[in-house]
Amino acid sequence: MATTQMLSSLKYSDSLTVVGISFCTAVVCECISWILIYRTNSYKSLKFSIDKASKKLETMKTENPTKISNKKSKTKKIDRVETSLKESSRDLSLFKFKSGAVVALVLFVVFGLLNSLFEGKVVAKLPFKPLGIVMKMSHRGLQGDDSTDCSMAFLYFLCSISIRTNLQKFLGFSPPRGAAAAGGLFPMPDPKTN
Amino acid sequence: MKEAKSVKFSLQQDQNGHLSPFKFAKLFDPEASWDKDQLGDVLHWIRQAIAIVCGLLWGAIPVVGGIWIVVFLVISSAIIYGYYGMILKVDEEDFGGHGALLQEGLFASITLFLLAWILVYSLAHF
Repeated sequence: MATTQMLSSLKYSDSLTVVGISFCTAVVCECISWILIYRTNSYKSLKFSIDKASKKLETMKTENPTKISNKKSKTKKIDRVETSLKESSRDLSLFKFKSGAVVALVLFVVFGLLNSLFEGKVVAKLPFKPLGIVMKMSHRGLQGDDSTDCSMAFLYFLCSISIRTNLQKFLGFSPPRGAAAAGGLFPMPDPKTN
Repeated sequence: MKEAKSVKFSLQQDQNGHLSPFKFAKLFDPEASWDKDQLGDVLHWIRQAIAIVCGLLWGAIPVVGGIWIVVFLVISSAIIYGYYGMILKVDEEDFGGHGALLQEGLFASITLFLLAWILVYSLAHF
């Protein structure tokens, strides 16, 4: 009770609500991803093969060929590993797309909820003057010209990026680095950025 | 050197877990050999820690102005650079160059820093 009173005496206590809600959403989203992707065996085997292939590729590239006759067969081998790595990471992206859609839906609903709760409200004060697109986002739906007023949208954006990235990293759910490197040639839409 | 190699071997065994057996002493050991993933993770968490500390500090003082975002970026990049260049003495070419190492966890740390700064500033000074 005392904490509620103390919180309501703060001018910008709404910012804590936004952070709390977005933290809960991030946890829920990771749970959904875990159920749909990470606990399945096909994901585990796919991730394992990507890790293995990228490590193999790395060692193959650093090793020096001893004979000239070996060189040709080696480049062939490297090519083969590279193609299999690319195929696996493409499969992985497709696999993630499914849960990405569900997660995007959850995020969309939560954003709508927050929008109805805090529409036109100043939830925080920025300690700097934003420019350009940041300004558009941080002043979205607010009255007045004070550019240091911060709307819910900007705070929610900051929360969702920082909390989700770190939560994924902490839980070990971030995409394997080998896949990111191999995906350069075939840019796939990443559902995580939603 | 032999010990460092055995550490690397035991870490590589653990393919699935992100919480691989980790020796704290390794963080300051220039002799230890690093895996690309491990070094990336360590740099990522160091960056996040710097972001939280700087955000709380900037908000508590409080400092105001966009220049402090630049100050944060310079401080955190300098610490990361100093860490892998001087303490670990790794060869950055083995890990994809300075860009790849300095970029590790950069965006997440910027958003975390802004979040901490804005929250502390708004809650403590109004």
